[in-house]
This record gives sequence, structure tokens and C-alpha cells, in this order.
Amino acid sequence: MASDYSPLILVLATSSCAYPGADEVGKAHLEYSPNIHVVRVPSPVLFPTDFYLRCYMRGVDGILIASCGSDCPYTSAYEKLAKRIDALTTLMKEGGLEMERVRLTAICTVCIKAFLKEVGQMEEQLRPLGPVDRAKAEALWEKAIKELEEQAHTKAA
Amino acid sequence: MEPEKDEEAPKIGVYVCRCGGNISDVVDVERVAKTIAEMEGVAISKVHTFMCSDPGQSMIVEDIKKESLNRVVVASCSPFLHELTFRNAVQRGGLNPYLYDHVNIREQGSWAHKSDPEGATAKAIRLIAAGVEKVKHAEPLERIRLSNHQRALVLGGGAAGMKAALELARRGIPAVIIDKNAELGGHIKEWGKLFPTDEDGQTLAARLRSEVEAEKDIEVIAPAKVTKISGFVGNYDVAFERLGEGGKPGEEAKLTVGAIIVATGFEPYRPAEGEFGYRKTPRVMTMPEFIAWAGSQPNGRLTLDGREVRRVGFLHCVGSRQIEGVHKPQPDGRVNTYCSRVCCSTVLNQAVQVRKRFPSVSVLDFHQDIRSYGRGHEDYYIEASNRGVAFFRYHGDEPPEVATDAEGLVRLRMKDYLTWGEEIEASMDVLVLAVGMTPSPIGDLIDMLKLATGHDRFLQEVHPKLRPVESSVNGVFLAGTAQAPMTLEEALCSAGAAAAKAAALLGSEYVEVDPFVARVDEAKCTGCERCVEECAYSGAIVMVEKETEGGGKVKKAEVNAGLCAGCGACVAVCPTRAIDLRGWSLKEFDSMVDGLVSAAERLAAK
Ligand SMILES: Cc1cc2nc3c(=O)[nH]c(=O)nc-3n(C[C@H](O)[C@H](O)[C@H](O)COP(=O)(O)OP(=O)(O)OC[C@H]3O[C@@H](n4cnc5c(N)ncnc54)[C@H](O)[C@@H]3O)c2cc1C
Repeated sequence: MASDYSPLILVLATSSCAYPGADEVGKAHLEYSPNIHVVRVPSPVLFPTDFYLRCYMRGVDGILIASCGSDCPYTSAYEKLAKRIDALTTLMKEGGLEMERVRLTAICTVCIKAFLKEVGQMEEQLRPLGPVDRAKAEALWEKAIKELEEQAHTKAA
Repeated sequence: MEPEKDEEAPKIGVYVCRCGGNISDVVDVERVAKTIAEMEGVAISKVHTFMCSDPGQSMIVEDIKKESLNRVVVASCSPFLHELTFRNAVQRGGLNPYLYDHVNIREQGSWAHKSDPEGATAKAIRLIAAGVEKVKHAEPLERIRLSNHQRALVLGGGAAGMKAALELARRGIPAVIIDKNAELGGHIKEWGKLFPTDEDGQTLAARLRSEVEAEKDIEVIAPAKVTKISGFVGNYDVAFERLGEGGKPGEEAKLTVGAIIVATGFEPYRPAEGEFGYRKTPRVMTMPEFIAWAGSQPNGRLTLDGREVRRVGFLHCVGSRQIEGVHKPQPDGRVNTYCSRVCCSTVLNQAVQVRKRFPSVSVLDFHQDIRSYGRGHEDYYIEASNRGVAFFRYHGDEPPEVATDAEGLVRLRMKDYLTWGEEIEASMDVLVLAVGMTPSPIGDLIDMLKLATGHDRFLQEVHPKLRPVESSVNGVFLAGTAQAPMTLEEALCSAGAAAAKAAALLGSEYVEVDPFVARVDEAKCTGCERCVEECAYSGAIVMVEKETEGGGKVKKAEVNAGLCAGCGACVAVCPTRAIDLRGWSLKEFDSMVDGLVSAAERLAAK
């Protein structure tokens, strides 16, 4: 039933900004959909492309990457992350996965409104799309893994 | 050496906290525990009213021993509150403290989904399932031991900075004070008689200074400016410049310390031109200006511009407790919503002094509230009332209007809520703006140390109650008004606490830091160097030549734990998955996703 569908969303939230930001939302007793799950990470820069694809393949409908933005405590991590997400979206577009399923944003430790807006928007955008096409995600994931295997035998550029 | 892989089958203990109703009023914790008990690898799954209480923690310790658990998951509040608490409990039970996962079902559960108990319960199940799958792949980790430079840098030698340095030195920890001003003491030198003891600020500052000078373990470098800080807890390299005449840069030097206490203090709020008549007439002055001027006048009669002063008014909350839409925003677009905490008592103190020293001068007090909250502060209010100070109360969203009249006197209009909203107009010779506190302009230090600031722009602690003097940077502590508006008494208290924290850290020859840094699986590393290229921290990953079994040589990546920041940038680019972050491995994240999704599917099928 389309009206009952609530997309399964992961929020990859940085330990120094977005995760405490999400805590603040709860402390203020403000609500959002319980289908939104916040996962604490030191920095999402650690995730390779195939990690995201694997999430979709397993049935995650959307991933919000909640970084620290310009407040990032790690040198140049945000820039690297932005590049990775760019590459990921290009790949998703080629493989037929909707771009709305991934989004990079910055949430600060007290950004209650920004958090609610971001997760709310993501949910709104995903609802009409319906569940993720897991077969397409799997095809992309396999491609990404194959690419890794090829890289393994070459030196860094 | 790599920690040995734990080969035994997982026996996980899961504990779901009611948090005295904070969680269980929304989440059906009994159902959560029952559902989780069915998961593979879960040996026990229990509910407790307060997991963080002694009985809650003891239950974990005993269960580990009795049931030979080898992994633990607690689902309760945010990990920032009690992750460490439960790691320690796990360790007391005889397990490695990192064989633990913390699941947040309060801030990100019951509190955020109050009106949807069913949804909140299902979410708790999914999050705990993710934690259970993750902890199956957790590995025992050892905290990283690094050598420790057993001395501290104190930035700022105001009352708080001097107090912190003295406390350290008295515990045998050498301290270096760097201040931008030649003379230590900070602002208290400027206030004359201080509430609540009537002790003179200059005298008090001089006493602290002579104690500092007498202490052989304290070195004072002033005036000087810090130009660069690098390193990490136990090993901070600090470059500074001694300042010459007129603040001109002089000789450069360096020092290494194990901890840093930031005590850079505050600056009094500077009203904008025209704010309550400021700088439109010399008869409107800030509190620091008034204290300096009145302090320089002989007792008896008070004159300004050749004219006898008959009436002095004090206006509270200038630059504090501002309201968006009512007050003009500061240059950064924000208004100062906070209370500066010292202005009320300062006004009362000054009002009493005016009445004592210049008996012919009458005193008017214009406030929103009078917050004479500290011990002994109320006495000033009582004395001011007894000495005939007249009080008027305005509402925060109707700030008084200030103008000058034909005679050049200051005229103030407001609605007085002590007389139920009556419009009043008062004319006076001097209006004193009781300005609040703003943080010292230390943007450069904030950048160098990567410190967090709050919405009020003051430095922010890790947790206001549980870790009140620690910054979010390991080995950097906060003292005095650099953190928030405080009275001297409060500033010295926080300085003592910061010094105690720093001394505890610097008391040992080693510092231990969280083991969450990169590590290389040599068997998988092909020496492609992508990680070295991706890493932003010079020296954190290097290529090292290793002998192969056949006697040949290969290059392998190696991590320097002291320099690795633990961001994980290297992890994403390794084509063979030879690099991972300890405690945050890709395998752990993958299993979390699996746990979460499978639980979602199981719940949907029901
Ligand atoms: C008008 C007024 C009256 C007051 N009256 C009282 C009173 O009667 N009783 C009372 O208890 N409290 C009073 N207070 C509060 C009191 O002034 C503070 O609690 C006290 O000064 C705090 O000391 P501190 O060391 O934290 O900060 P500060 O006094 O501000 O000292 C900070 C020090 O850091 C140095 N510094 C700043 N930036 C740098 C930098 N970048 N590098 C190196 N050094 C730096 C400064 O030079 C200074 O020496 C009053 C406050 C005001 C505004």
C-alpha cells in the first residue's frame, strides 16, 4: 500500500557535529519519523562507494550524510567526502538509481531546525519513489567491487 | 602486534534501560528485550530501570562472570553520556572495554518519537539489532600509550589563569602562563571594591601575582602571542612570539606541553553608537567607564563637565538577555540572549558605593529582573534599598528609550511594571549602562585548537554537567570567563577544577588515548600507496620496507598511531580493504546495516 510506505532512512552522522545535533532534537522533544536511523561515524569520509551501494542493495531507501561541513575537525575530510558523494551520484545516475536517495549536508551540534528540515525533506522526496530497486543497486555494487579488484594491482596515480 | 581475533562464538548480553520512565513511557521495553532475545548470539536480554545506577552496572559485571558473556550491548541514553560508564563496567567484569556497543534509544528514540510508541518501539528493536550485529565484529582494543610532556600551558593570566597555574604548580606540575598583556590580573584590576567581600580588585590581583612570582614552577611569558599550536594530548607544540613595545612582534620561541588550559577571559560588551544614547553624550557611560571615573573622584561632591551630579541612573542588561526582533543584532547577526550574571550585583555594589561616598547623589535603578543570586549578593540589594535607591522595572521587550533634554541631561522613558505599567520619565546627570560580558576575541586560538563554541560565542565544554571544564579536544581544558559569564568566585572555582583535571592527566609519564586509529592488515596490503596519498596528516601513514618470507623486500603501509587523527579517509581508498579504523571497521558498519534491515524485515513480516 503506497500510503503506508515509510522509507527506511539512514543518517550517517558525524560524532562531533551531527550526532550531538540529532541528540538535541530529542532533548527538545521535537519529533521526526521513527524510520529515520542515525548512525554515529567519526567521519563519513571513511566510506567507499560500495558501502552506499551495499546499503541500497540490502534495502535501505535513502542515505543522508550529515557531516560537520566547514566545522569538520579533520583536515580536508569534508572536501574529500564531497568528491566521493559526487562520484557516487554519477554512478547511481548511470545505474538507474534515483539521485534523491543520497544527500550530503552539514548539521551542527545545535542545528535542531536544520536536522528536522533535512530528514523531513528526504522522507518527502523518497515517499513517492517507493522502495529502492535492490537489483539495480546490486548490479552497481558488483561493478564497484570489480573496479576495486582491478585497482588492487595498480599503483596510486 | 594485532590483537588476536576472538574466535569463540558470541555470547552477548543485551540490557535495555527504562531510564525511570524516560524511555519506558514511550518504548515498550519488555517487548524490545524479548524480541532481541531471539537473535542469534544473544545469551541474555534484560530490562532495568536505571542501567547507569550501581545496581544496573553491577548486573552487567555479574552477568559477564556468571554467564561468561563475551560481548555487551546497552540500549539507553546518548553514548555521550554513558558509553564510558558501561565500557568501564564491562572492564570490571573482566572483558575488554571495547567489546561493547552503546545504542541510543532515548535522545534518538523515546524523546524524538513521543507520539508514536509503536514506531519508537520498532525503531528501538532495529537499532539494538544493529548494535548486536556490530558488536559481534568488535575486537578487543588497547588504549594507545604515548609519552606525556608533564607541564601545562595556561593561556591568559587573569585571575582564573593565575589560579590554575598556582594549583598546578602546587601539585608539582610546572606551568607556563602566556598573556597578551604585560601585567597579569585581567579585568578585576579595573573594578575597585569587588562584591561580595568588598576586597579591592587591584590588591587581589597583586596578591595572586606575587604568589605566581614566588612559585618556581611557574614561568610567565608576557606580553606574548601564540602563533601556532600543533600536536595532541601529552604532546602539544606551541609557537609564540614575545611582543615588544606597542605590541610589536619580537623574538619567536617554542615550547612543548602536555595539556593546555584556556583562560582568556572576557571583554565587557561594547554598546553600538547610539545604543541607549551611548557616545551621543558623555553623560551616558558604560559600567567600566563609570567605575574608572567615579573611582578617580574624591568623596563628597561629584561633578561632571563642571556641573554637580545630583542623580545617577543604572540601566541593567545592556548587551545581555537581548530579544530577537527587539534588539539590534550583533555584527554576526545574532543577539546576546544570555544573562551575563555579574551585572546585577555590580549595579547594586556600585549603587551602594555612590550612596556612601556621595550622599547628595540620588540613585535610580532600571531593571528587568534583579538576579543577585550568589551568596552574599542579596546583602547589596538590601543595603541599596535601605540607602534609598529607587527601583524601576521594565519588560524585556519594551527597553527604555534614552534621549538628551534641552539642558543636556539624560532623559529615560519606560513603562514601570512595579506600578503596573505606568509610563515614567526620569532625567539624570549620568546614566550608567550595566554592560554584560562577551568572549575575548580569540578566533585565532579557536582555529588553532579546533575548539567548539556555543551559540553565545563562548567556549563550549563537552558536557555542562558531567564534564564541565573539558573542551572537546583531548588535553585542552577551560577555566574562567572564557567559557561563560562568571563572577570571580565562579571563575576561580572553574580554574581549580580545570587545574585538577590537567594535573590528573599530567601526573603520569604516559597519556592514554582512544584506540580509534587506522591499522593495516599487512597480508592484504599491496603497497599501492593510495592511503599515503589520501592522508592529510603528514607522517600518520608511511611506506615501510619489509622482508618477505622468501627473503625479498616489499613496501607496506604503516600507521603512526600518535599522528593518526582517526578520520578514516584512507579506508575508503584502499582497494584491498587492508586498512580499517579500529573500533569503526567497515565490517562493523556493514553488519549494523544488515542487523537493522533484517530486523525491519522481521518486524514487517509480523
Ligand atoms: C563591570 C564588571 C564588574 C565586575 N565586578 C565583579 C565583582 O565585583 N565581583 C566579582 O566576583 N566579579 C566581578 N566581575 C566579574 C570578573 O571581572 C570576572 O569574573 C573575572 O575577571 C574573570 O577572570 P578571568 O581570568 O576569567 O578573565 P579576565 O579577567 O578577562 O582575564 C583574562 C586574561 O586573559 C588574557 N588574554 C585574553 N586573550 C588572550 C590571548 N589571546 N592570549 C593570551 N592572553 C589573553 C587577558 O589579557 C587577561 O589577562 C565584574 C565584571 C564586570 C564586567
